[in-house]
Amino acid sequence: MGILSWLKGRRPVELDEDDFKEEIRAHLAIATQEKIADGVDKTDAHYAALKEFGNVTLTTEAARSVWTPRWLEALRDLMSDVRYAIRALRKNPAFSLTVVGVLALGIGLNAAVFTMLKVMALSPLAGVEASGRLAVIFGETSTGRQLRVSYPDYQYLRDHDRAFSDLFGSIVATTNLGRGRGARQVWGELVTGNYFKVLSVRAQRGRTLLPSDEIAPGRHPVVVLSDGLWRRDFNADPGIVGKTIEINNNMLTVVGVADPTFHGTIVSYDVELFIPVMMGPQLGFTFGSQQTTPSGILSDRRAGVFYPHGYLRPGITLANATAQADALWATLSRERPLTDAAQRLKVVRFWQTPGSGPTFILPTLSVLSPMGLLVLMIACANIAGLVLVRGVSRRGEIAVRLALGATRTRIVRLLVVENLVLAVPGAVFGVLLAQNLIPVLVSYAERLAAPQRVFFNIEVDGLVIGFTALVACGSALVFGFVPALQSSRVDLVSVINEDASPRGAARGRLRAGLVVAQVAVSLLLLVGAGLATRSVDAARRANPGFDPSHVTAIELDVKQNAYDEARGRIFYRKLLDAARADPGIESATLAAYIPMGLLDTRMQRVSIEGYEPRKGEDLAFMSNAVGSDYFRTLRINLTAGREFEDRDDETGTPVAVVNATLAQRFWGGALNAIGKRIRVGDREWRTVIGVAADVKYSRINEAPRPYFYLPFLQAYRSSMVLHTRGPGSVDRLVDQARACVAALDGDLPILTAKPMANQMRGALIFYNLTATMLFVFGVAGMALAAMGTYGLVSYTVKQSTHEIGIRMALGASGPSVVRRFLGRGLRLGAIGAAVGVVAALAVTRLLTSVLFGVSATDAVSFARALALVLGVVIVATIVPAWRAARTDPLSALRHQ
Amino acid sequence: MAKTPDNGRLELLQGTLDMLVLRTLQLGPQHSHGIGQAVRTQSDDLLKVETGSLYPALQRLVKRGWLKAEWGVSQANQRAKFYRLTAEGKRQLVREETRWGQLVNAIGRVMRPAAAPGTEE
Repeated sequence: MGILSWLKGRRPVELDEDDFKEEIRAHLAIATQEKIADGVDKTDAHYAALKEFGNVTLTTEAARSVWTPRWLEALRDLMSDVRYAIRALRKNPAFSLTVVGVLALGIGLNAAVFTMLKVMALSPLAGVEASGRLAVIFGETSTGRQLRVSYPDYQYLRDHDRAFSDLFGSIVATTNLGRGRGARQVWGELVTGNYFKVLSVRAQRGRTLLPSDEIAPGRHPVVVLSDGLWRRDFNADPGIVGKTIEINNNMLTVVGVADPTFHGTIVSYDVELFIPVMMGPQLGFTFGSQQTTPSGILSDRRAGVFYPHGYLRPGITLANATAQADALWATLSRERPLTDAAQRLKVVRFWQTPGSGPTFILPTLSVLSPMGLLVLMIACANIAGLVLVRGVSRRGEIAVRLALGATRTRIVRLLVVENLVLAVPGAVFGVLLAQNLIPVLVSYAERLAAPQRVFFNIEVDGLVIGFTALVACGSALVFGFVPALQSSRVDLVSVINEDASPRGAARGRLRAGLVVAQVAVSLLLLVGAGLATRSVDAARRANPGFDPSHVTAIELDVKQNAYDEARGRIFYRKLLDAARADPGIESATLAAYIPMGLLDTRMQRVSIEGYEPRKGEDLAFMSNAVGSDYFRTLRINLTAGREFEDRDDETGTPVAVVNATLAQRFWGGALNAIGKRIRVGDREWRTVIGVAADVKYSRINEAPRPYFYLPFLQAYRSSMVLHTRGPGSVDRLVDQARACVAALDGDLPILTAKPMANQMRGALIFYNLTATMLFVFGVAGMALAAMGTYGLVSYTVKQSTHEIGIRMALGASGPSVVRRFLGRGLRLGAIGAAVGVVAALAVTRLLTSVLFGVSATDAVSFARALALVLGVVIVATIVPAWRAARTDPLSALRHQ
Repeated sequence: MAKTPDNGRLELLQGTLDMLVLRTLQLGPQHSHGIGQAVRTQSDDLLKVETGSLYPALQRLVKRGWLKAEWGVSQANQRAKFYRLTAEGKRQLVREETRWGQLVNAIGRVMRPAAAPGTEE
């Protein structure tokens, strides 16, 4: 009660409509009464009072507006515009939905691409402040081969290089956690003592690794766990610090758990163990080097271990840093000369770290982002065309609005609102798409990498998505605004005189410009899409030099069950014997590496007997250690000599097989190569017993390069891949191979067991992904541009129905009319196509890095694109022209 | 488009309507029609207040708390909504009258600089 009376006592906040009506009624009654009192007839008095009062509705609105705030009024107007726009666009659902869809696609794809670009360049490492600013030192030979820096050289640089505030080193390695069946492989980083300090990464429990963990080889059996490993494998054990865990058959004490946000410094790897680099030899890491013993890893200047990382001091540029590192290197070379090929040191940004994820991903992204922008541009051009065409067809409506006193701003606002109505849902769907696209891509990468764990510091970046959406909508608005402005400049007189032919050359020019632009851009996109599909085709058909079908790849590391070399050799011999005895298995072999693994494997320096290297010539090639029957199992052709046999063991003559390119380069042919000798590093001379055909060793698009094979029995490694071939289904083959391993040692973990074709898929992934996205962009852009071009061209023809009518009435034949319009349409199409071809020739060169098997100026792709684009223009011209020509001239004339 | 006064009537100066309404109500509560009539008769038919202006003005004055509206019965025994000045409304009227006086004075000086009335003819 109290509250109610208090409320009643308040000043009113809005017009009481009923009360106001009542007041007006009373007003009229009084006025009527007065007139009657003055002697006017009753009915006349009522009408006189009404007349005197004026417009009741307007008065009510004016009274109401006293109470409504300005913004509310504006909002109401806007809402009515929006309602009107939606109603208008609903009449053209196909076009509206397509524009919304393509805008969404454009925003979504662009946001995803830009998010990845931003992450790769600015913050590639999670949990590390400004990781994009990290700089990296690497060595480079005169031939451009990139080299890691040895540990002694790292120490020297760390102590003398003043360009960096500090330098740390780290190298990623697969480590075996646990023993026997329960063992598994996780990514570990062997790091210098200042690693955590330089990166400013804290420990959430215990401590991080410290400079005091880098004193003497083998003396620091400690480890820091990642948050993920601690939670998954140790159930977030609060007492983990101080416990010991087994890594590569050594017991290490857990001294801490790293910050939860930290996933190591190797992009795309989820690193879970951080181990002092001093423990490298003890844990058996040779980092692929066969030139030094594990214990030599930390003292041998020829053993490249890592790329030193650090933050540059303020004011130091990369060029300064390179100069300084190089000067230090020169001093070092004078003091302690290296026999290796001459090299220089270079300093680059983190994302350019040799062989790192970003060096693969960034070129792909940098191709995709302009493609995405082109699609967005077409979407905008389409919106502009839409507004223009609608504006022209609504000249009548606009003229009436203007005549009724609507202001020009009001009409432009209405037209702009129509653009917004298209742009806003497009942006919303685009943001949703981007938000879902990135996790999908990441989980795809995770599935591919399993059981290895990958990690990308990619979160859905609200800022990037928001920015993209804003840019897209903004450009849609701007594109729509110009035609809207034109539409609002309607000449009332001409419209009322029913003169429907377009007024002024300006609009005609704008329309022609839009047609030309759309044809040009769609041609560009189509050429891109064509090149992409043709290179995917070429990649699928390409011969990698071996036959991966019906072959398995089972990865093992006998070190995981504590085999030494002697026992390992016995194990692998028994494994091959068992596999070969299996009736379902046609042949079996071992290999250190699976071809087409995307990344290059380690290169080794070789000497060729009788060949004097030119000064500065860098003879370092990749190689593989393989078992007997390797070439038969993988169906790699031998062009000369024989393949490895079981007699090529540690007691036999040292032998090697080289590939055709190597044989050609040094001996002028395969047959000449047999019996020649080569040497790896400064070890024993090996006799070439066979020449194998070239294989795609890392990537499908690599150029032929020298390569050599050593017999496994003369180059023992603990981790090998078992390949088996058989006529049956490859999944059964995998099971059979697994069974062979389990029968020999039930406790030895099998790291991966897959058909070889699956293993290779990774090599094609970036490439397939790029091609797919190019294709999607191309098709989306084309569909949109085709629709836009069709709309504009056919509209021009429709506009001329009147003209056609006159021509027909004057005796022109239907075909001649169609020919006439076709000529006009083709002229615009040809100009657009010419512009597009020139642009495409200039732009496709940028695609070279992602193309395979087709040149960037591939005539077939260009011809197809041209034919398609001109086809669209022709159809868009002929269909409406023909329809117009077939109509009765009289009705065409009357139609207006 | 400038409005032209028809049948010899004068246009109300911008912003003066509120003052006139307040002044009219100083004589006592009145309904809207009555206010319009009062302005007309008191100005000897020179000023006519359109309802399209009067009603928003009344609403505006009520909103500012210078007027209060109540339903009542007229002398002719007709139901009508009566407006009366609030205390704040009375103070506002004084303020507006003062400002109006100053304005008339100032405009007068400009139109007839340092001269006796009527010399310009």
